[in-house]
Amino acid sequence: MAEYKPIPVTLIVNGKEYKLEVPPYERLIDTLRYRLGFTSVKEGCGRGECGTCIVLVNGRPRHSCLTLTATVDGAEITTVEGLAPKGKLHAVQKAMLDTHGVQCGFCTPGILLMMKALLDRNPDPSDEEIKEWLSSNICRCGSYLRYLKAVKLAAKYIKEGKIYFDEEEARKTLIANIPR
Amino acid sequence: MSKPYYVEIVEKVFEKTKDMRTDEFKWLGKIIQRWDAVDKVTGKPLFTLDLVNRIRDAVFLYTVRTKYAHARIKKIDVSDAARYPGVIRVITAKDIPGVNDVGYVIPDQPLIADKKVRYIGDTVAVIVAENYHAAVEAADLVSVEYEPLRPILDPLEIVEWGGLREKEHELIHEERGSDVVSRYKIRRGDIKKAEQEAAVIVENEYRTPFQEHAYLEPEAAIAWVEADGSVSIIASTQCPFDVRKAVSQVLGLPFNKVRVRVPLLGGGFGGKEDVANDIASKAALAAVLTGRPAIIFHTREESIIGHSKRHPMIARYRHMARRDGTLLGVEAEIILDTGAYASLGPFVGWRAIVHSTGPYKVPNAKVDLAVVYTNHVYAGAFRGFGSPQVTFAFERQMDLLAEELGIDPVDLRLKNILRNGDRTVHGQLLDHGVGLEEAIKKVVEASNWYEKRKLYGKPQGNIVRGIGISAFYHGNSIGAEGADFSTATIIINRDGTITYRTGLTDFGQGAQQGIMNIIAEVLGVPPSYIHLEPPDTSATPDAGPTVASRSTVMGGNAALVAAYRLRERLNKLAAELLGCSEDEIVIDAPDVYCRSDKSLHMTWQELVEQAFWKGVPLQEFGYFRAPPAEWDEETGQGAPYMHYTFGAVVTEVVVDLETGVVRVERAYTAYDIGRVINRVGAELHAEGGFIQGMGYALMEDIYHSKEGYVYNKTLSTYHVPLMLDTPEEIKSFFVEAGFKRGPFGAKGLGEPSITGIAASIANAVAHALSAGKLINAIPLTPDRVYMVIKKKGLNPF
Ligand code: FES
Ligand code: FES
Repeated sequence: MAEYKPIPVTLIVNGKEYKLEVPPYERLIDTLRYRLGFTSVKEGCGRGECGTCIVLVNGRPRHSCLTLTATVDGAEITTVEGLAPKGKLHAVQKAMLDTHGVQCGFCTPGILLMMKALLDRNPDPSDEEIKEWLSSNICRCGSYLRYLKAVKLAAKYIKEGKIYFDEEEARKTLIANIPR
Repeated sequence: MSKPYYVEIVEKVFEKTKDMRTDEFKWLGKIIQRWDAVDKVTGKPLFTLDLVNRIRDAVFLYTVRTKYAHARIKKIDVSDAARYPGVIRVITAKDIPGVNDVGYVIPDQPLIADKKVRYIGDTVAVIVAENYHAAVEAADLVSVEYEPLRPILDPLEIVEWGGLREKEHELIHEERGSDVVSRYKIRRGDIKKAEQEAAVIVENEYRTPFQEHAYLEPEAAIAWVEADGSVSIIASTQCPFDVRKAVSQVLGLPFNKVRVRVPLLGGGFGGKEDVANDIASKAALAAVLTGRPAIIFHTREESIIGHSKRHPMIARYRHMARRDGTLLGVEAEIILDTGAYASLGPFVGWRAIVHSTGPYKVPNAKVDLAVVYTNHVYAGAFRGFGSPQVTFAFERQMDLLAEELGIDPVDLRLKNILRNGDRTVHGQLLDHGVGLEEAIKKVVEASNWYEKRKLYGKPQGNIVRGIGISAFYHGNSIGAEGADFSTATIIINRDGTITYRTGLTDFGQGAQQGIMNIIAEVLGVPPSYIHLEPPDTSATPDAGPTVASRSTVMGGNAALVAAYRLRERLNKLAAELLGCSEDEIVIDAPDVYCRSDKSLHMTWQELVEQAFWKGVPLQEFGYFRAPPAEWDEETGQGAPYMHYTFGAVVTEVVVDLETGVVRVERAYTAYDIGRVINRVGAELHAEGGFIQGMGYALMEDIYHSKEGYVYNKTLSTYHVPLMLDTPEEIKSFFVEAGFKRGPFGAKGLGEPSITGIAASIANAVAHALSAGKLINAIPLTPDRVYMVIKKKGLNPF
């Protein structure tokens, strides 16, 4: 492979600043996963078709597999690791647990970030809007109907001012009280 | 012959609990959050490739694949590739120390081709480089001289109708002397007589497509050599013990020098079986040859051409019945296309023929089935394993018959279904645990079938609605396909926590939660006490492959046996310590007490501590072997599976008459799973299985060019259902006709949840368009449906 001069880049990932030098062809997904260790970012296709690699770049969802790191210099990036402060779960994560949307979990990080981005933009989305947004993500295990419920539940939590939940508590709650 | 102890335990537990309602249990059938849910929503590194950061000094692999779908290899020259900067070495067939084969059931599939390539995904060399980019770039420099051969893509070039005799042709597998992988038959009663007696006979030809698993996690494996020369592998595989066998064979190492571990899987659905043998063997080979850890992973495109698919089927069916709707006989010829390699084809073919006439009383049957090679992508295991294909065919036939007789499809089915005391087409007596009638009644009632069946089927402007039903059954575990046993290890640790080990993997659908619920129920502890150890061939006993929906039944039984024996010991000890009788002991951890006098009490921890000091062993090994299946090769008579899961699905569709687009609006599913063990898992199976089945019915297929190239290797060209395609509602019901040799009566659901979906959707579309015989192939893509609309003169233009 031809040698290229590395490009200096600053990224703020989940609130922490990283000063890096990356080759011009390096994809954001690889920077996040392999340089910085944010392995919640998943690669399902590498072509912008499955949504597993979605991260928030300055608050907007973006396919990290189609983004060159050098093009997002200075950006604030959120991955699932940064959805909530340490030891806490964000409302979308809690809602995902409460609606039992998790199966294999490979699509889960991308889905959670889409949910967060959607609710940031519209705290009270319609079914159609939810379906439209989440159709950027494939879930082959087929939890789609749960995601619909999860977004609505998360919206409710947020409206009630419940944005963060205790992670330990959630681990202990084996029988979740689910609105069914 | 006396019963083995493990069968006795399972039957005893069934007898004791069979009259209990599921809500009377403490953990079974409850809404329980699965053990790994929090880790998954917080993005913990759970999958194979997430571990890459922990590997130092690794080499990266990339597979060089053939340019032709069918060709002889004259010469391979890797010298240019080997000189490319960053490349460490290029592996070809001659570098394999052991046997160059990764065939799953029969040895027909080289790991690296050296004489012949048979489909477009065959490996000709593997590049090992310092980094992934160098490996990919060097792949172009491998030069192979081929003698191209004409690819055979039509199974009807291999065998012909009217007996499925093999035709004269240039063999794809000349080393085997035939391109028919396997044949099966069913002969029951006298089909000629049935034909004479029949008032109606309906016949049609059916076609089903390839289906790609499209699990979201592409395949990956990491391998390294330990100090003592043994090889360790981490791989995304459903079947760690099969991977161990394949790697051992390729490397020429004994089993105890190969260790395979499996982190969580990002989906499997049957697809992560043989492909894992392939990539794990490549990684292990590279690790041995370079002395460094080796990493291999597939891109989506490699995944789609590199792993097995659902077998396409072509079938001809004839159903014969009396005027009153009683089925007299079924005659069928079925061809399954296994592509370039057998993979699990022989077993898939067998399951297909076992289920080929459906969950009905069929007094006379003559069915022939052949599994044949072509130069297509190879086909193997996929959720359903031959059943969805034949179910599509026989359930379309049942609807044609109903139409011909002027009987409602539900009534026709109710007239012919299997009930307790009936015999299957194989002559197997089902003396208990058949809940099909109840399942049908549930979906019929919930969907308001009779009313909608009348209302729908009449165009309203540009749309028309339809409603369809399917009924089916699905044999539990692997039956006569192989040795059918399972194991589990349970250790109660001194602090009261529990370590549970099994060799069965969890594809992501949460089957292991079901087993943990069983352990919790038997021991009397919350499931949160239990830690599930990932499968590890050096630490867990061989539990057989994780296939055939066997986790809950087979894995569950092994765990039940182990937990039961532990519980017996604990009861005995607690009785001694508390001073009441053994069956008075209640364990509801952290409390342990006597039922009649709750003041006779101790804690779970105290009990465990006492067991430790008193020398009561707190580890147990559970084993369960299914009763041997019976199958007569000549007649297809016997008892192929120990028992069956039954189900019924009603689907409502709306068809756009302008475009031919079909949308599923609502679905109702009912499954007789014996006993609901893992409620959340069961519901998710019903929903997820439906959606995957809907993809199979409406949009999924692999398209090959006439040269054998795959056109749709990406997720934008291979369409799977998205949230926008999902029906408004998928209602799931469970019937609990317990099976005495399932844990607490349970039967499997993994595969049944997809088996009847395509049939039900196709029947709904046929109803919408009054299309009869014209709906005889899936996927029902807009172009295919539009042709039917046009033929029926229903198009608005
Ligand atoms: S990996 Fe980026 S969209 Fe699939
Ligand atoms: S949970 Fe498996 S892909 Fe969504």
